[in-house]
Amino acid sequence: MFKKRKIREAIAGYFLASPIIVTILVFTIIPIFQAAYYSFTNYDALFQQKYRVRFNAQEALENYFFVSPDENPSKEELLSLFDPVDFIELAVGVDLNAEQKKLVKREFDVEKLIEDFLNRKLDKTFVFSDFMKDYMKKEASVFAKYVPDFIGLANFSKAFKDRMFWISLKNAAVFSLVVTPVQTLLAIVLAVAANQRIRGVKFFKVSFFLPSITSAAAISMIFMLIYSKPGLLNRLLGYLGVGPIDWLGNVKTALPSIMAMNIWTTAGYFMVTFLAGLQDIPTSIIEASMIDGANAWVRFWKITIPMLRNQIIFVVTMGIIGTLQVFDQIYFLIKNQENITISMYIYQNAFNYGKMGYASAIAMILFLIIFSVTLVQRRVMREERF
Amino acid sequence: MGKTVAYVLLIAYAVISFGPFVWALLVSVTPMTYEKDGQHVGVDIMQWPPKINPFSWPPKVFDAPATLSNYKKVFEVVPYARWILNTMIYAGLTTIGHVLFDSMGGYAFARLKFPGRNIIFTLFLATMMVPAYVTIIPIYNLMVRYNLVNTYAGLFLPKLTGVVTLFMMRQFFLNLPTEVEEAAIIDGAGVLRRFFQVALPMAKPALAALAIYTFLGTWNDFLWPLLMTSDKSMFTLTMGLNFFRTSYYTFWQLMMAATLLMTLPMIIVFLSFQRYFVESGVTTGLKG
Repeated sequence: MFKKRKIREAIAGYFLASPIIVTILVFTIIPIFQAAYYSFTNYDALFQQKYRVRFNAQEALENYFFVSPDENPSKEELLSLFDPVDFIELAVGVDLNAEQKKLVKREFDVEKLIEDFLNRKLDKTFVFSDFMKDYMKKEASVFAKYVPDFIGLANFSKAFKDRMFWISLKNAAVFSLVVTPVQTLLAIVLAVAANQRIRGVKFFKVSFFLPSITSAAAISMIFMLIYSKPGLLNRLLGYLGVGPIDWLGNVKTALPSIMAMNIWTTAGYFMVTFLAGLQDIPTSIIEASMIDGANAWVRFWKITIPMLRNQIIFVVTMGIIGTLQVFDQIYFLIKNQENITISMYIYQNAFNYGKMGYASAIAMILFLIIFSVTLVQRRVMREERF
Repeated sequence: MGKTVAYVLLIAYAVISFGPFVWALLVSVTPMTYEKDGQHVGVDIMQWPPKINPFSWPPKVFDAPATLSNYKKVFEVVPYARWILNTMIYAGLTTIGHVLFDSMGGYAFARLKFPGRNIIFTLFLATMMVPAYVTIIPIYNLMVRYNLVNTYAGLFLPKLTGVVTLFMMRQFFLNLPTEVEEAAIIDGAGVLRRFFQVALPMAKPALAALAIYTFLGTWNDFLWPLLMTSDKSMFTLTMGLNFFRTSYYTFWQLMMAATLLMTLPMIIVFLSFQRYFVESGVTTGLKG
């Protein structure tokens, strides 16, 4: 009786958890292992599609033999002219490696193909992998699925020698190391200001929060306008006699401009976190320190900051992890390749150049960096308990 | 810090926080051209200071009478209505998936004992450290293989559940007192009835926070729609914004109108549910 209930509970547990187990397995866990595998291969998106090439076999053969549809060449003549490797590489346009060439030479059913050609059975669209299934005597499965070559650590050693990899990594690191402390400090200062028993705290909270609920794409558009050469920022700076600067076009100012925008987006959001933390600080501590004669500056560094320790660790970790992966803003606003960050370089390699193996290797490096940041955070958090 | 300093600081930052939105609004209500002495004149939206005259009707911004025509034009020059629909389907289905499956999973991992439960949960937690850039390439290839590019399924399927939100729901159910459910057990209710009829209704505030967080995140998402949509009719709103910028000319007025149009629903959501953001802190509670 007792055991039966346990089994029923386990079944219900699996039932309730199955949707999330299946989706996380398919869309997160398996892809992580696939990406790890890709990172050791020369996986190329352009080749990935190569066995899915569509072609009309009748027309391809006519072109190959230089015969027109109304000619009637003899079977022997065609057989003597036909070379399956040439046909696949030149007329169909699929490159084969040395092993595949050997296989095609050995197993391709030339006679069957020529007969079908003469009987005009081929006048339809074939997918290359299906075509091979029909005309290879055996081992057609080699052409069913693209298998990239295993190249060991070559992608990683390539990355370490790749100038763009280092530039994009450096940009992301600078972005993170500037934005994180500035936004954290600004958020703390705003929170301390809002914690002075002032009126309209709710209004300030709401208005500071606004940028963080706006999409990065929309914010990028608004700042594209503000940062443009005849834009608002240059008009305002004009009063100070600072000449118009092409903020986003200039290699030196583009990334700092986006950093400033990023700080603007998130500082208000983190301010709310800190305000909640400040409200937990017992007023007795502050009053005691005031009696001791500590001024506001001393109180800020000796009481406020230590009391906010947990929130600071949280905000700094989230900030570093988030800023290291900044993408949308870079995609919309960065014009110069010298200014891209690592996530953008991963994107470009994978989806613009098709170098998915290399892109996966860089993504794994980014993962290791983020993993170390998390480990450091864990260590700091643990120390704090003692 | 003195109160005066605090006020000056807060008001200054409120201006900085609001400023860009106000500027975008001013540009969005400015016509591309306006009639002056019987001639069509282009409007210099970059002119400074803007000659705003709120006392005329319609109020004048940048010399030209304010107009809402840009907002109308956005729907005419691009399939904006379609993009709104696409974004609502993407964000809506994703949110439904999260609310349903994350709460089911959260309950199972919190309350029910089944073999492998702890291993699976630890594995799930570990995936939180993996950046999206690791997994998008294999997921993209999977979508290509099953011809799901430019389909709604391609957009929302990989986003249907989330580990962060699962963790949040599990945490919620762990903190929920078991007494009520025990009463239901004595009444002879099965596990599923206990979940759907007793535990889930009590989770309404947590589910609301989860729904808002997910909807907002998906509405604003750019990377996945960028990969999954190439057909204009399948674009989401974030994807569409680039349409107002060509290599020769940027249609600032239309771009700002489109930008504010897609932000407005989120502002409304935010203002109506702000206690979930500002007081309970939707995301601070999530990452704890």
